[in-house]
Amino acid sequence: MSKDCQAVIRVENLTKSYGGFRALRGIGFEVQRGEIFGFLGPNGAGKTTAIRCMLDLIRPSSGLLRVVGRNPQQQPVAVRERCGYLPGELRFDENITVNTALGFFRQLRGGGSACRRRADQLSERLELNPVAKIKNLSKGNKQKIGIVAAFMHEPELLLLDEPTSGLDPLVQQTVMDLVREAQHGGATVFFSSHVLTEVQSVAGRVAIIRNGRIVEVAATSELSARGTIQVRVVLAHPVNIDVAQFAALPGVELINCEDGERVLELAVNGTMDTLVKLLAQYPVEYLETRRCGLEEAFHAHYERQRGKAGQR
Amino acid sequence: MASFWTIFRFSAWRLRWTVLGWGIPLLLLGLITAPFYDLVAENERQLRPVIEGLKPLVKSFIGGEDAEDIFTPEGFIALRYFAFLPIILGIFGAVAGSGMLASDEERGILDFLLAHPAGRASFFFGRLVALGCALVGIVGLGWIGLWCGVLRAGSLDFPPGQILLPYTSVLAVSLFFTTLALALSMVMPSRVTAAMTTGFVVLAGEIITNLAKAIVQLETAARFSPLTYFQANAMRGLHIEPVLGLLAFALLFSMCAWAGFQGRDIRVAGDGGWKFPFPRLRK
Repeated sequence: MSKDCQAVIRVENLTKSYGGFRALRGIGFEVQRGEIFGFLGPNGAGKTTAIRCMLDLIRPSSGLLRVVGRNPQQQPVAVRERCGYLPGELRFDENITVNTALGFFRQLRGGGSACRRRADQLSERLELNPVAKIKNLSKGNKQKIGIVAAFMHEPELLLLDEPTSGLDPLVQQTVMDLVREAQHGGATVFFSSHVLTEVQSVAGRVAIIRNGRIVEVAATSELSARGTIQVRVVLAHPVNIDVAQFAALPGVELINCEDGERVLELAVNGTMDTLVKLLAQYPVEYLETRRCGLEEAFHAHYERQRGKAGQR
Repeated sequence: MASFWTIFRFSAWRLRWTVLGWGIPLLLLGLITAPFYDLVAENERQLRPVIEGLKPLVKSFIGGEDAEDIFTPEGFIALRYFAFLPIILGIFGAVAGSGMLASDEERGILDFLLAHPAGRASFFFGRLVALGCALVGIVGLGWIGLWCGVLRAGSLDFPPGQILLPYTSVLAVSLFFTTLALALSMVMPSRVTAAMTTGFVVLAGEIITNLAKAIVQLETAARFSPLTYFQANAMRGLHIEPVLGLLAFALLFSMCAWAGFQGRDIRVAGDGGWKFPFPRLRK
């Protein structure tokens, strides 16, 4: 199969400038068919700009962009037909009902009775009142309309820009379930979020964007694995412990030592083998380990970047 | 084409209250104004010397040399009714034209709508045609009101077709201002500035056109005012050239707006500033 057939989104050296401000500075990545791809970055990093280029809502300054095998600038309608989009800041005409809004979106998609049934099912699942006026809805309920509109036509590609923003935890869970179900149904999901644990729970791969540049594209598991392991050791009774021994171990950092050297907190990068062997010499009452998640890996990544920038 | 009709229907439906909100006052204006001619006709002997005695500058605001025409049925309707319509509908055009796309863009609605599989052409022309229909609806309600007013007046006797003629000119000048506001909203930094600029053109045009009836030096400037080509007294016969001229400009403004919309980045908050497109003089 050709590269284009596999890649549902293909971005190469994409730039976007607003006057003197460069929002995207030559980003590049590929999203393969059927995967859930996380797009991480702080506010103003360029996540939304990249997504909006994919739908031809804004035009890139340069670079190559293919979405579902097509150039969005040349075939915007064909691209949008096969995509579901949920923007980060979702607003509607406030004076209409939920049903009217969804009916309009459905008609724009040329959706028939199957699309209507799916919209009804989704509305029911998300507990969305179809006869309520939009202006009377909370932010979270307005977000639900966007979710129904994005999923109702069972698109080939879902472009979700912070989809769970403003939703309560239960509905967040429902949305994450919908994302997984869409993937199982063969859809590809491009997912930007600030909630890193959320991305970690569903995304197979992640791109990290900062200041309009992709700083890393990696498997979520790989990024998480790069995080340190936090170890908390409680000894059975105070002993004469040689703290320097722990600090000298390769990849081990002593974070804290308290209660008369009875409790140790350590951070381990890499293998635990040397630490376990050293601990075997002491009467260990309790040992707790916790692998840092994507969130810590993400922050560590930024700290490293900041450190490098500081050195320069 | 299907998406064009969907957008047209939805936009027209959204404009229903606008049509009623602007059309009903026009209907009432016609209904109330026309029967007043009976009073004017009755009091012509007292009123004529007052109007004839007015200074030219003052007279220019009630029709200039045509001010005495107020004593004829056609002249009364032209001066006391149709003379106000371009201002009223010019303001409507400034608000509705500038808001046709820029309003939804500024409110962040357009972004989500355009992510659906409808081309920008469908969006633009669907909404433009709906706005044109709304304008026809408003003018139509005004026509009904005036016709009913004429029926109420004892000394007025016009067939509905004759009353319709000035509305053709009203519609042309309203489309001129509506499309001007639309075109300006595509180049100016915000909807409000486009509406304000169009409103300024409406009012400045009205003042210049009226003053030019008394001040000869303003005649050249008045040639550039769209209101100079408005025919309030078209019940005596409509000149088609000025109507076509106004419609040609409306078409030109629409095409400019379309070009602007076609090449436009649909903006949302945080996507860059809302600045005038002045050239950058320094880095």
